[in-house]
Amino acid sequence: MAKLTFASIRMLYRDKQALFWAMAFPVIFTVVFGLFDFTDSPEARFGVVAERPTPVSEALRKGLREIDSFTVERRGDLAAARADVEDGELDVVLVVPSEAGAPAPGRSAAVTAYYNEGNVDVNQFALDAVTRIVDGLNLQLAGVTAPAIDLRQRGLDGRTVEYYDFLLPGLVAMGVMNFSIIGMSVAIARFREQRILKRILATPLRPVKFLSAQVLARLLLSLVQAALILAVGVVLFGAQIYGNVVWLFVLATLANLVFLNIGFAVAGRASNADAAQGIGNAVAIPMMFLSGVFFPTDTLPGAVQAVVKYLPLTPLIEAMRKVSIEGLSIADTGPQLLLLGAWVAISFAIAGRAFRFAKV
Amino acid sequence: MTAEPRVGTETAVEVHDLVKEFRAPGGGRLRAVDGVSFTVRRGEVFGFLGPNGAGKTTTLEIIEGLQSPTAGRTSVLGFDSLRDRERMKERIGVQLQAGAYFDFLTLEEILDLFGSFYPKRVAPEVLLEKVGLLEKRRALVRELSGGQAQRFSIVASMVNDPDVVFLDEPTTGLDPQARRNLWEFVRFINAEEGKTVVLTTHYMEEAEVLCDRVAIIDHGQIKALDTPIGLIHQLPAAYRIRFATHDSVDEGELRTLPGVSEVDVSLNGGFAYELRVSRAPVTLPAFVGWAERRGVQVDDVRVLPATLEDVFLSLTGRSLRE
Repeated sequence: MAKLTFASIRMLYRDKQALFWAMAFPVIFTVVFGLFDFTDSPEARFGVVAERPTPVSEALRKGLREIDSFTVERRGDLAAARADVEDGELDVVLVVPSEAGAPAPGRSAAVTAYYNEGNVDVNQFALDAVTRIVDGLNLQLAGVTAPAIDLRQRGLDGRTVEYYDFLLPGLVAMGVMNFSIIGMSVAIARFREQRILKRILATPLRPVKFLSAQVLARLLLSLVQAALILAVGVVLFGAQIYGNVVWLFVLATLANLVFLNIGFAVAGRASNADAAQGIGNAVAIPMMFLSGVFFPTDTLPGAVQAVVKYLPLTPLIEAMRKVSIEGLSIADTGPQLLLLGAWVAISFAIAGRAFRFAKV
Repeated sequence: MTAEPRVGTETAVEVHDLVKEFRAPGGGRLRAVDGVSFTVRRGEVFGFLGPNGAGKTTTLEIIEGLQSPTAGRTSVLGFDSLRDRERMKERIGVQLQAGAYFDFLTLEEILDLFGSFYPKRVAPEVLLEKVGLLEKRRALVRELSGGQAQRFSIVASMVNDPDVVFLDEPTTGLDPQARRNLWEFVRFINAEEGKTVVLTTHYMEEAEVLCDRVAIIDHGQIKALDTPIGLIHQLPAAYRIRFATHDSVDEGELRTLPGVSEVDVSLNGGFAYELRVSRAPVTLPAFVGWAERRGVQVDDVRVLPATLEDVFLSLTGRSLRE
């Protein structure tokens, strides 16, 4: 049995193409997402058009310059500045008319901000900043020096969770799922095509031992894969894992049993390795996008959410995030464990019906 | 080796009234094996000769315990193929038709792995040495030539030093040289190692050269079972006499010669004739006398024995290669 497991691992390791999809592909995802900086504020270039410097125009310029990623320049000609916004040379042009130069209480004056609607990644952030400065000026003009309500933001436990921290457990789950559903179904379908299953059946080895060795080999390599993804995320890109990493491996292994059963079921239905690849992808890809690898499932329409929360990948990702982001123990993931346990039983029954070792 | 005769009297394989039905694609049932019975003795090389789809592989796989029969019994070395399957498997070697081995293990690793499935095993180097693949022991199967791969697949069926070896179309797809090498190897494991060999083939030459006895199978039934010579002698015309002449001769006169059952003429530059005869030693002197009397100038006389191809044709009305 040990020899068989070792041989199975060796086969997996030597199948470089399959190994690439299993190991390198999710790691590439991890690296690519790590290279994006989701916390950095977007750069924005402002132009301020004022016939003459006024307290308002100067306050705006000063306020904007305090934000590191903003640049502010004075512009004389409005038409030229607007053209620059259209060409993408500037992101926002603020027009401060002279009558808004020295506003007085009871007299309203307009500051106009021109922006390019196509510039979605910058607009919201830049215009929010302008709004905040204008609000501040208004309070000042109204004579409010100490605001009645002060908002203080304070996270619990002193944790700062960034998108990458949210993403990393999802990537681990995705990697394990693809490696097992697609990898296992293709491998078994190929064994059948090459009559290796039948050849095994002609020996005294019990088929269940052969399959167990395959399962064991994949469970072990999945742990290596998960460790690799986590290591790249944490070491290279500074991802934070607040809970105990061991629980992540335990959860991944539990869910992996479900994915391996699905792999066997797919191999049972597929007539050859190519068909297994197709069916495997048809099962795995929708789960990858729906079960919250990249985005919280809350953002899906309610009806879709109701279905998605029962897919086997969803409770895995939820439980992993509870451990990794919320710093909880596996004991706090009861509902997810229950759902995964149910899936292990269901998928085992499905695999048992769909997969026949001796099928010619 | 031993002084005992190569073929013993003990039974190696016994097949009794074997029937296998499959569900036909359009509904209904298809009888792939239709009442087959035979016995193979220890030490024999026994061959199944028949076209594709005749039921050879199905029969073999039922004996090997890989498929279950619809009716009938099979046993190997006294072990029932169904009930005593586990013990039987320890004593047999199975090579599957067009079967492959793991893509990503070396020859040595495959033999070592398969050996670990058996209580009794032969070292990989010993096996590879036998088929001249020792220096390829770290190669993958896909790096072998067709002949090498086929030799490997046979030797891989012998990791447990089996008493009975089943080979399903062992030479299909090989070139003539590789085929002859393989025949040598099959003879070696039979004669030198005393293994009983049961093989299927659709090459009549292979059956003729290699097998002690041949079962001719068609549409799931055994049409004849005998030694290759015995099968040929069952034919009304076991020999052919071929000759060529410059001028045409009277076919009717040829037909009156003793032992002639059929006369074929073909125009091939001159005239070429083929006589189907039951016993060449009887017909030949009469033929020579007739030619002298008639003053027929005969070129290129050849006496050919009939082949299993002729046997198959006479039994089924079809050629093996159709």
